[in-house]
Amino acid sequence: MAAQTQTMTAAPKNKEPEQFLTGAQAIMQSLVEQGVDTIFGYPGGAIMPTYDALYDYQDKLKHILVRHEQGAGHAAQGYARMTNRAGVAMVTSGPGATNLMTPIADAMLDSTPLVCIVGQVKGNLLGTDAFQECDIIGISMPITKWNYQVVDANEIPEIIAKAFHIAESGRPGPVLIDITRTAQTDKMTQPFKYEKKVDVISYRPRVVPKQEHIEAAAKLINAAKKPYILAGHGVLLANAQDELKQFIEKAGIPVATTLLGMSAVDADHPLYVGWPGMHGNYGANVLTNECDVLIAIGMRFDDRITGDLGTYAKQAKVVHIEIDPAEINKNVFADAPVVGDAKEALKALLPLINTNSYPEWRAEFAKYDAIEYEKITKKDLFHEGDQIKMGEAVAMLSDKTKGEAVTVTDVGQHQMIANRYYRFKKPFSSVTSGGAGTMGFALPAAFGAKMGAPDREVVAIIGDGGFQMTIQELGTIAQSGLPVKIIILNNNFLGMVRQWQQLFFDRRYSFVELQNPDFITIAKGFGIAGHTVSDRAKLSESLDTLLQSDKPYLLEIICEKEENVFPMVPAGACVTKVILE
Amino acid sequence: MTTYTLSIFTSNTIGLLNRITIIFTRRRLNIESLTVCETERKGVSRFTIVIRHDSREAVEKLVRQIRKVVDVLAVFGYLDHEIVFNEIALFKIATPLGGVPLNIKEINLDWNAKVVHWGLDYVVIEKNGTEQEIAEFYHYIKNWEILEYLKSGRVAVGKTEKGLVEYLPEGDWEVV
Repeated sequence: MAAQTQTMTAAPKNKEPEQFLTGAQAIMQSLVEQGVDTIFGYPGGAIMPTYDALYDYQDKLKHILVRHEQGAGHAAQGYARMTNRAGVAMVTSGPGATNLMTPIADAMLDSTPLVCIVGQVKGNLLGTDAFQECDIIGISMPITKWNYQVVDANEIPEIIAKAFHIAESGRPGPVLIDITRTAQTDKMTQPFKYEKKVDVISYRPRVVPKQEHIEAAAKLINAAKKPYILAGHGVLLANAQDELKQFIEKAGIPVATTLLGMSAVDADHPLYVGWPGMHGNYGANVLTNECDVLIAIGMRFDDRITGDLGTYAKQAKVVHIEIDPAEINKNVFADAPVVGDAKEALKALLPLINTNSYPEWRAEFAKYDAIEYEKITKKDLFHEGDQIKMGEAVAMLSDKTKGEAVTVTDVGQHQMIANRYYRFKKPFSSVTSGGAGTMGFALPAAFGAKMGAPDREVVAIIGDGGFQMTIQELGTIAQSGLPVKIIILNNNFLGMVRQWQQLFFDRRYSFVELQNPDFITIAKGFGIAGHTVSDRAKLSESLDTLLQSDKPYLLEIICEKEENVFPMVPAGACVTKVILE
Repeated sequence: MTTYTLSIFTSNTIGLLNRITIIFTRRRLNIESLTVCETERKGVSRFTIVIRHDSREAVEKLVRQIRKVVDVLAVFGYLDHEIVFNEIALFKIATPLGGVPLNIKEINLDWNAKVVHWGLDYVVIEKNGTEQEIAEFYHYIKNWEILEYLKSGRVAVGKTEKGLVEYLPEGDWEVV
């Protein structure tokens, strides 16, 4: 089969048109030439010609058959987060495509590169309400970085190259290509040619920052007495974790990472002060309003980080390093904006920054840490109760994996706890749905992460609510046989909603208690081994069983039912108004 | 409320109008007028969008969000004094037998409008000008029966010596 495709690509100019690739073959050949190795997908009517072409490409392209298109999208996201390359999802038209919308919206908010290839009805049926027709270009427009409908087979190589370029460059994001069935079945009328290097004239993101912006930023940083860095997802997306380390070590500046920037800095680094935001660390939040220069790197001042913008870091001069110019001054005014890639910006800044250390300022963080430890951490990790607390389970997992695993978290209490207590030692180790807060993200994303980083231990940490949203992907994991480790932190509640109802809705628990299935039996039904632990004394050995398994494994941990996540900055409140208990 | 005129240069692609207008919808911004046309450069379209807003900062944010759209080449926000702008209005006026006759001379000379079509019992008058001038003419002409009235969106050019191509990203921009 491979030989056949090679002759097709290297078609001499005087070949008859019949020798040219079909659109479907061109899709496959484009993906191969782009360097794609994995596709997460689900076949159906309108994409069948492409699946037929895929049959001949199985030696070059690994296709993972998911159980629901949403799973394909999240798996592609997990894959992208591990590899910093676009994850590829391929689905059919209509419901296949609409099922992909949640992962696309998620990827848009979390700047995750995705290329989604979506089948569409035949060209002559467009706009006729044909079977499984859906205006997916219209639907996906607000949640894609770019989308395009292909109606001509000849366009395919160029559009696919453009899709990858747009998805992966600048501020990464999801791209959707809607390809009519006719464009898949038609033969190209010209030789196939794939050029990876694309110049989109209307899209040339600035990578190297302007020198005058760098100088202005350096001046502010060098004059600071109490500087504070917030490092976001942009650091990891730019692969700038080493540059960040050099920068903080030279400048001596305390650094926090956002939820999406988590693991960009070694959690045990002496300058690491935790994370800001709603359930972030006490000092990391409060001291935002005491620093004199706030240096934001590859982050976007999300409302879960800033709380009340009217009181947020008003005393500070803000240096904002960000590749997306639309983020500058969007939420927080930047005194020194630096538009560019985090890696390039940090490289350019490094020689201009004075060597420094701020012992008194850093001691402030330590002071808050001590309070937080007394009021929260100690109670979570070293309590007297019989029931397992989520925090101790995660802390134990962190110790057992030496902080080197990849945690893939869903959304809710367990997500906050996992990122609070896992001590990330390596970059690219926390995969989570931050901006969109998509329950059901973790299970398929963990599988995708394992595909993207097969040599790393990948542990999905999921709540009992979110687990049931994409539970069917146990089938995908089982079929692959990949050792994805799954932990359900089961408190039998939609815990975060319950916590809010308790704190802000007068304990009126409105539809948050779940009658859960027997998760272990379900896993067994899918062919995945697992067990439940509720006894604190057996937690350690249970985690060992999970980690030692060379197959996928499910560990259900029965947790204290009405545990709350603290610290907490209530939504829209000032970052200094931290609830500790 | 201040009036802002946005000049948006884009590559000429299907669906782009939608991509741009959803940026306004999402921020609950009302578009006062919208004009789309091809420019003197091949493949480049120009959107002229008029909005009213209290906050210059919000308009600047809007401009950056529009610029972010992949197929958008350049975006500019102007205040009225920075541009030359115009609209075109058409009035279908009833001219029944026995009615008060229109004063064509006044319409031409005082109002700088002209009759562009003579029907049996009606005429169509074209009036070019700013929103204000058109509104004033409307007030005058409503002394007769207005059968239909409509006007275009604003078209505007900046009061600068620069040509379009200087606003566009570097490239070979072919003149149409």
